[in-house]
Amino acid sequence: MNSNHNSEKKTTDTKSNHENYRSKDDLTKKQKVAAIKKTLKSDPVDVDRLRQLAISRGGLINDELRRQCWPKLLNVNIYGISKKPENLKEHRDYNQVVLDVARSLKRFPPGMRDEQRLVLQDQLIDVIMRVLVKNPELHYYQGYHDICVTFLLIVSEDIAFALVDQLSTNHLRDFMEKTMEKTTKILSYLYPILGKANPELREFMELAETGTIFCLSWLITWFGHVLSDFRHVVRLYDFFLACHPMMPIYVAAAIVLYRQEEVLQCECDMAMIHSLLSKIPDGLPYEQLISKAGDLYLQYPPEKLEQEANLQLKKSQSITNYKKLKLSSRSQEPDSVLKARRRQKLKEQQERRLVVMNRQEHGSRLVKVTVWALTAAVGVAAYAVMYAATDLNHWWYGH
Amino acid sequence: MSQEDGEAKTEAPRNTSGTTEVFETSTTVIVEKKSQKRIFKIIVIGDSNVGKTCLTYRFCSGKFPEKTEATIGVDFRERTLEIDGESIKLQLWDTAGQERFRKSMVQHYYRNVHAVVFVYDVTKASSFENMPSWVDECDRHHLNTDIPRILVGNKCDMRDKAQIATNVAQKFADSHNMPLFETSAKDDSACDHVDAIFMTLAHKLKNSKPMMSPKLAGMVKNRVINVGKSRDGRRLSQSRESENEKDMCGC
Repeated sequence: MNSNHNSEKKTTDTKSNHENYRSKDDLTKKQKVAAIKKTLKSDPVDVDRLRQLAISRGGLINDELRRQCWPKLLNVNIYGISKKPENLKEHRDYNQVVLDVARSLKRFPPGMRDEQRLVLQDQLIDVIMRVLVKNPELHYYQGYHDICVTFLLIVSEDIAFALVDQLSTNHLRDFMEKTMEKTTKILSYLYPILGKANPELREFMELAETGTIFCLSWLITWFGHVLSDFRHVVRLYDFFLACHPMMPIYVAAAIVLYRQEEVLQCECDMAMIHSLLSKIPDGLPYEQLISKAGDLYLQYPPEKLEQEANLQLKKSQSITNYKKLKLSSRSQEPDSVLKARRRQKLKEQQERRLVVMNRQEHGSRLVKVTVWALTAAVGVAAYAVMYAATDLNHWWYGH
Repeated sequence: MSQEDGEAKTEAPRNTSGTTEVFETSTTVIVEKKSQKRIFKIIVIGDSNVGKTCLTYRFCSGKFPEKTEATIGVDFRERTLEIDGESIKLQLWDTAGQERFRKSMVQHYYRNVHAVVFVYDVTKASSFENMPSWVDECDRHHLNTDIPRILVGNKCDMRDKAQIATNVAQKFADSHNMPLFETSAKDDSACDHVDAIFMTLAHKLKNSKPMMSPKLAGMVKNRVINVGKSRDGRRLSQSRESENEKDMCGC
């Protein structure tokens, strides 16, 4: 079929660039599906490779592949899920959860029959309560249900529980403290990122005393609460599951930066800017924003901002736990020891190069991306690999 | 989210603080000042699921929202009203009910507030029993006690399920020197009533001292605009209130 297409192209000069891109897209999409399937079939599963695929353009492509990949990304063994306990209703947060789930109608596909939705809503309550009962130190927050429903719409109740359980003690851990102090701290990274990318914008927003609450729901629901198109939500989840826990704040920054002209044209007033930004318009170019967020993360990693903003990053449990999670996900396969050795060797080589690069404080980003591409060890680096290695700029734009 | 609908109804665009009239300043400064649309900031608070979002949505867009979700953080809606020939803008800050949000997040929104709307659910006793803690919280944010406050008992369309008697709520409202309204954001026939509640507040605020633009108010942080002292305003709203209660709501 493909060769037909090519021969057609040779004979007709009228074919637009757009169409050319589209045919290229289809191929790429197919190739990507094949690559994901191949990675899943390989034994052991190369989780780093899976991360790359989840981050790069298009993410994990479809829900069927997500069903298989998400447990791997979170290092969850879907065959060892604990049984549902009986005492779910006794939990302190039960009533709040029921109220919020009852009001979560918007999160289910518009065409879904009521009976089916009601079944899923009951399951959603159970998923949330199972995590809370299993981890008494975790506190429910409004918006947690938006995260859980996203998983429940992709995988079964039991697996959704296992995935959210893992996520809650890692990426979401800071949001589930008794107070929102740590959440506020994470939000406070927004302005340093904005300031680095566009000082004028930061100054304008700070002058208006805009605050960060406009993007609170973005952060704590991983955008599940604000985006109307479920496909965009799961695409972002692919990205976040494969990345550092701070990545949602970089996506938030990317969105604000994308809308900077609108913001700067706005009256310099908290209400106006809050109102403008808190609603995310339809049709934002999410692949571009993900790419931008990746760039921002590479240019201004959390550690770098921490110094500048004098933030107490070390207190973030999400970040500490993430390191552990990443380590443990490496060792989920039997021959991990061999792999680890190989990786260690590679890493040592790369680290030596990285040290050299780091000395060049103001080294161009392109060079940096290349270094990351070689490292391929930490979250978004995988993205950099894909970005640097292939002509991604032209991928997928046509569709 | 629903801000857009609220905004859509607002006739004036963003530059509400009179900047459109700037080119007329060649006449006199006073002309310009008169043309400024006064903006009042109102915070809406109360337990989770009492209907804060529905009430503000009803007022700002005239409709009951089909699917409401839990509010995360703070949502913003606004509506411009014409009162005695003056155009004033009400900015409603709709807050999340869950306790964790109000402890650290909502604080920011208490600043420079011109009025407070306390909401409880007449069919849920606990939402009324928690009212003292909401009032306390308001006091804790050092809001001037003269700031107009109103108490709204929502969900009156479910009268048969009501758990809070009007006289009990009235007593509480009296003890805190605020008017009580019982209404339903859902009931279309009570739509005018919801309007009237906010109109009452708007009247009260309108009769207050001339107000600075929010930008200026932000610069002079310690100054709280004192509207409660306007005796006329108070009487006006009280009379409207009793009228409304008779006409609109049988609770």
